[in-house]
Amino acid sequence: MASDTGPSSPDDSFSSPIGNTQSSPDNPAARPGARGGGRRRRGGGGGSSTPSSIATTPPAHRSRFAAASETTPTPSRTHRRTSGGGGGNGRPFAASTPSSTDGDAPPSSECGDGYDAAEQMYVWGTNISVQDVNAAIVRFLRNFMEAPLQADSIEEGKYMRELDRVFEIEREWIDIDAQDIYNYDQDLYNKMVRYPLEVLAIFEIVLMDMASTRNPLFEKHIQARVFNLRTSICMRNLNPSDIEKMVSLKGMIIRCSSVIPEIREAVFRCLICGYYSDPVRVERGRISEPKRCMKEECATKNSMTLVHNRCSFADKQIVRLQETPDEIPEGGTPHTVSLLMHDKLVDAGKPGDRVEVTGIYRAMSVRVAPTQRTVKSLFKTYIDCLHIKKTSKSRMQADDPMEVENGFNRNEDFTFDEQMVEKLKDLSKKPDIYDRLTRSLAPNIWELEDVKKGLLCQLFGGNALKLASGATFRGDINILLVGDPGTSKSQLLQYIHKLSPRGIYTSGRGSSAVGLTAYVAKDPETGETVLESGALVLSDQGICCIDEFDKMSDSARSMLHEVMEQQTVSIAKAGIIASLNARTSVLACANPSGSRYNPRLSVIDNIHLPPTLLSRFDLIYLILDKPDEQMDRRLAKHIVALHFEDIESVQQDVLDLPTLTAYVSYARKRIHPQLSDEAAEELTRGYVEMRRRGNFPGSSKKVITATPRQIESLIRLSEALARIRFSEWVEKRDVMEAFRLLEVAMQQSATDHSTGTIDMDLITTGVSASERMRRDNLAAATRNVIMEKMQLGGPSIRLMELLDELKKQSSLGEVHLSDLRNAVATLTTEGFVAVHGDTVKRV
Amino acid sequence: MVGLPYDCLANPLGAVRFTFEKAVAAGADPAALNGKDWGAGDLFRDVLFDRGALSQVPVLNAKNIGHVQPNTLVRFRGMIQDMLGNEFYAGAYKDGSLWRTNKYRDVSQYPMGSSPDMHIWERHLLYCVQVPGLNPWADTSSGTVVARPGDQTSQHGEKRRRADNEDIDQMDMETSEDGIQRSSGVKKLREDGHPSQNLQLPEPVAESTGFGACSMPREEGDSLSCLIKVYDSSDSELKLNDVFEFVGVLTFDSDYQVDNDEFLDGFSEDTLASLPLNKVPRLHCLVHTKLAAHDFLHSTPLELKPQLVKEVRETLLSHLTAVLGNDGLAAHLVLLHLLSRVHARIDNFAVGKLSVNLTCFNKESVSIFGNHLMLAIKDLLPFSHIVPLTVDYLNAASLAPKKDYETNRLVTGLMQLPEGTHLTIDETQLEVGTLNSVGVENARLLKYLSEYQKVEYDFKYYKMELAADFQLLILSEGKSNILPADLVIPFQPSSVASGGVVAAETLEAWQWYLATVRSLSHSIDSDMQKVVENDLVAARQANRNLSSQDFSRLLTMGRLMSLSFGETSLSLEHWQMVKELERLRWERFA
Repeated sequence: MASDTGPSSPDDSFSSPIGNTQSSPDNPAARPGARGGGRRRRGGGGGSSTPSSIATTPPAHRSRFAAASETTPTPSRTHRRTSGGGGGNGRPFAASTPSSTDGDAPPSSECGDGYDAAEQMYVWGTNISVQDVNAAIVRFLRNFMEAPLQADSIEEGKYMRELDRVFEIEREWIDIDAQDIYNYDQDLYNKMVRYPLEVLAIFEIVLMDMASTRNPLFEKHIQARVFNLRTSICMRNLNPSDIEKMVSLKGMIIRCSSVIPEIREAVFRCLICGYYSDPVRVERGRISEPKRCMKEECATKNSMTLVHNRCSFADKQIVRLQETPDEIPEGGTPHTVSLLMHDKLVDAGKPGDRVEVTGIYRAMSVRVAPTQRTVKSLFKTYIDCLHIKKTSKSRMQADDPMEVENGFNRNEDFTFDEQMVEKLKDLSKKPDIYDRLTRSLAPNIWELEDVKKGLLCQLFGGNALKLASGATFRGDINILLVGDPGTSKSQLLQYIHKLSPRGIYTSGRGSSAVGLTAYVAKDPETGETVLESGALVLSDQGICCIDEFDKMSDSARSMLHEVMEQQTVSIAKAGIIASLNARTSVLACANPSGSRYNPRLSVIDNIHLPPTLLSRFDLIYLILDKPDEQMDRRLAKHIVALHFEDIESVQQDVLDLPTLTAYVSYARKRIHPQLSDEAAEELTRGYVEMRRRGNFPGSSKKVITATPRQIESLIRLSEALARIRFSEWVEKRDVMEAFRLLEVAMQQSATDHSTGTIDMDLITTGVSASERMRRDNLAAATRNVIMEKMQLGGPSIRLMELLDELKKQSSLGEVHLSDLRNAVATLTTEGFVAVHGDTVKRV
Repeated sequence: MVGLPYDCLANPLGAVRFTFEKAVAAGADPAALNGKDWGAGDLFRDVLFDRGALSQVPVLNAKNIGHVQPNTLVRFRGMIQDMLGNEFYAGAYKDGSLWRTNKYRDVSQYPMGSSPDMHIWERHLLYCVQVPGLNPWADTSSGTVVARPGDQTSQHGEKRRRADNEDIDQMDMETSEDGIQRSSGVKKLREDGHPSQNLQLPEPVAESTGFGACSMPREEGDSLSCLIKVYDSSDSELKLNDVFEFVGVLTFDSDYQVDNDEFLDGFSEDTLASLPLNKVPRLHCLVHTKLAAHDFLHSTPLELKPQLVKEVRETLLSHLTAVLGNDGLAAHLVLLHLLSRVHARIDNFAVGKLSVNLTCFNKESVSIFGNHLMLAIKDLLPFSHIVPLTVDYLNAASLAPKKDYETNRLVTGLMQLPEGTHLTIDETQLEVGTLNSVGVENARLLKYLSEYQKVEYDFKYYKMELAADFQLLILSEGKSNILPADLVIPFQPSSVASGGVVAAETLEAWQWYLATVRSLSHSIDSDMQKVVENDLVAARQANRNLSSQDFSRLLTMGRLMSLSFGETSLSLEHWQMVKELERLRWERFA
């Protein structure tokens, strides 16, 4: 079974001189030199496959790079560079052609020559000394420490400990952070990126070497997996000069092939005498079937047949990676690139995953037809994958504030490039950054300054707090926008949705309770019941924008109670009982129930939302369309400018969307402000002040102007404000601004229109204190009237008559029948009167 | 460049090689060249445009594809339907001591040893289709248009000139000195360097049906798609859905014989495998030019004189009025609508669009006026498309293009149209019914298109918005809910539609008028700006219900109104006209 894959076989492309050795790493110390990479290479050139046959059956292929034993490491890679001064362009061809032309053109003899050449070996075509690289790697592995403070401490280097871990769990690879290499030895890093094939081969030889000295019993081959390169390349910028270099790129997996078993070693059996051959290894992508039986007594020609279950195979998978949407220029389609995964990397990602891949960019020539040797002028490219890392699916880095403490995420996750960070930090130092960000938020929606400030706070968010007792305090700020139609609420929502880290945009009208939370569905393929996340769960760590909140069904809305305070979604359905995180900020907007907001009614009456839900919003803004000529003029100006002027000149001094996004994500990720003592004091003082405002001296009326919920909101807001400044401390001015924001919002929504004071009862219960007082007064008056007019057990009186009586009493002002009904109902519960239909009877 | 040794049209590759050898001889280092142009592009530009040879280059279409010789220069006009990424090829290599290039060809002409002196260059692959919705009058490749005398003036506008098909057939020339011989029918390509190569050339593709039948929903049998290989261009230059004219070398080489190599096993990642050679010719592009509406005109561009513009405007307006059954207001608004285009985008807002919803149609009147209107539009604009909106249609149609990851191709949808396409959406056939998930998605897509002039392309794992610029005309009984238009106007015909026969010259004048005036720039002076602002403020004080959308519409109309007179800045007179039109329009609702 000769797998005649020619140049197209990835295995074969690895057969560039160093890569070709799939030698058995099982006992490297035992047979030094017996199966050096160079040796096998030379054998391959002559079309012979015998040299390797002396090795015992090795475990499946583990390395694409030389796994030569430690005593003869050099030759395997010295003959590498065939392309003289040709620079990068020549190499890929050199890498792929020998294999494609094998048979007719034996590879140049350099491999053999290098073997016995001078002591100092060089990577072909360069002045990179193999010994130097070897030594540099040894130094790096032995000595690199994460905290290089105690340079002469007896503690072992990071990677030595890693290596021990590898022994412990019998892993076959070791992850190496390229950043560490860079920090330790820039020269080595540069060499590795430029000549990854060679350097990685040496890397693995060094690793094997170390493994055998530290743990002679460890028989597995250790592969070096490099990740976290300093620069990552955009997929569409891959060009011919990147071939054979180490690259790192981000993308989304769109297709995975099935796992392809790739033969590594074949065993043949003679059909005549039953003799089993020694394992025959893949040579340049093919296995040559022995022409005759090896057993001398038999020696029958063409009698050998492949024994499948004694062959060894390795996993291989081809994965297609597509550019992430943000890298695609206007009017382009996403580019794709093929990845080749081996062994443990197989199935490391699924379609739809966003990954960051480190690998070697390779090209291989395409043959005109499989049976022909002619090489087309075309090349197929792919990335030989070394390391794959899943990145978060969110648009922005929505780091989990709850999980930051373990410090792992911070390292692992996406890092901002330094230039950007500098730029952002510079921005944050500007004194007007708060105003500037406000201006940059939806710049084509004018006015609404305070609303935008509130939304800005929502974007930045407060700190979530988790107490040791398990109690959590949310850091997310919920905002409700209520307003007249045509006041660009929806546009604001859209804008925030675009900007926010993983946001979901839904419309209340089209959302169902399960669509918002989670539902159980049957997987069409497996038939298992699976939990599908709804909008709120999907926007965990983000902002869930709900348009037309008022039109949402009650059942859907009731789901929000839990989400907005506990930040979880609990479901118990179809045998699945789960509580899912939904740490999301809710940004909702609602229209008043009449088409226009009636300022004489309370918010609750205007939008018909249950007070329990309303109170969970930190900020409620009323966006009212007041007839204001000044505003109209500005609107007119704005629109005229939109249509006729150069757009650039209209919007100066605002941050563009990418910068804004980066700013927000950086702040959310890196800044975790704490309350300073001064701020805490101010907070207390302000809160007490607010509460006190509800007590009118000499009045029995008790108005609640602030509740504990408000103080939590205030803390969140001030934290967000500190974040805006990239400040680790919440200062007094943040708290004062938070108070101002809250007050602006409350003034709009929680103002009792009959008295003009803020009354939280309006939000929490839907009835203002003054209204309640009025009701009490009416009930008292009714009681008086009844006491006067009616006898105990006497004839009943009609409600209308009672109303007329009450109207005579001028102190009550306007009295409606409905008010009276309420009053009578109150009296009924007191057992004072009995109501039969429209008549009242004193009992 | 006198006395070229090669005929650029018949043997473009020879010319390419000539320039390459010249460049190398002049000291250009193939290593440093890195795929950049060494003068071949200039040569062809010179020959094609400055010397007017373009008109002799045959335009490739479904009918003549069987007759065009491979390795000759052809033209192809098409829309970029998909981008297939980059392709690496051995750009320059050494044959003995001579440098050779593979640029503009698929298979190397000389043996490429495994010599290290080889440089890999890259080229872009574009999948182009004939412009969807192209109206017959604008289709130069159909062979109906005959070049007029006096075309030697060789402007860009001349590009559309083409020789008759007969010319192509008569082209009986040596295409290459490399011994590539061919008879007109069977093409047998033999390359000197590869005697062993048994190139399986496509059978003569005489049967022109089924061309480009690559899962294109709007396949009509005789459209042609083409795989264009573009050199020397940046990504930013070529965009999806742009309409280009490519001039390049046509190849029928056995490009991509089915490689059944193991690498691809179980993973037919080769997108090109789905583009069979005999259906999709390959074009190695030498020169490409982006086409705008006026490139599709027949007549030589007229001079933009106010008097002339006014005349043409009057005749066109009266024509539209007649078509619309003497409804002058609707005709006026439709005229403005035909001139609209998105000229700026601010955040999500597309400035300049003016979609029109003609209401009060019923099934009878649509068959009279609707058809007349659609035919009239077809004659006026280069690209137009009619969407008969029914529940079944919404439930079944694939409007948005969709990425098929199996073949790694972008499967086109009906909404993949070039910029400036006119869409007539006939809602009068819409009846009560239930939309399935596809229908809901399609309705949402249409709404989104109408609001933001963007089409969401479905990339399975995410959606990608692509800016569109379609003129939307909606015919409906009541105000359309699926497509909220900028301008809703109840249609009130007072006589029977009388399109009448229009003289070809008049038609051409109208086509020219619409194409030219539409692309004019526009401004407003500060005095006029004051007036407009004051008017808007006053209007809003009077009617609180006026929103920014209403203001935008007024301004767009003002802009289009003055454009329709060929003027580039808004005058008071035109502004008053717009206000009057709006007043009349509102009266119809009263």
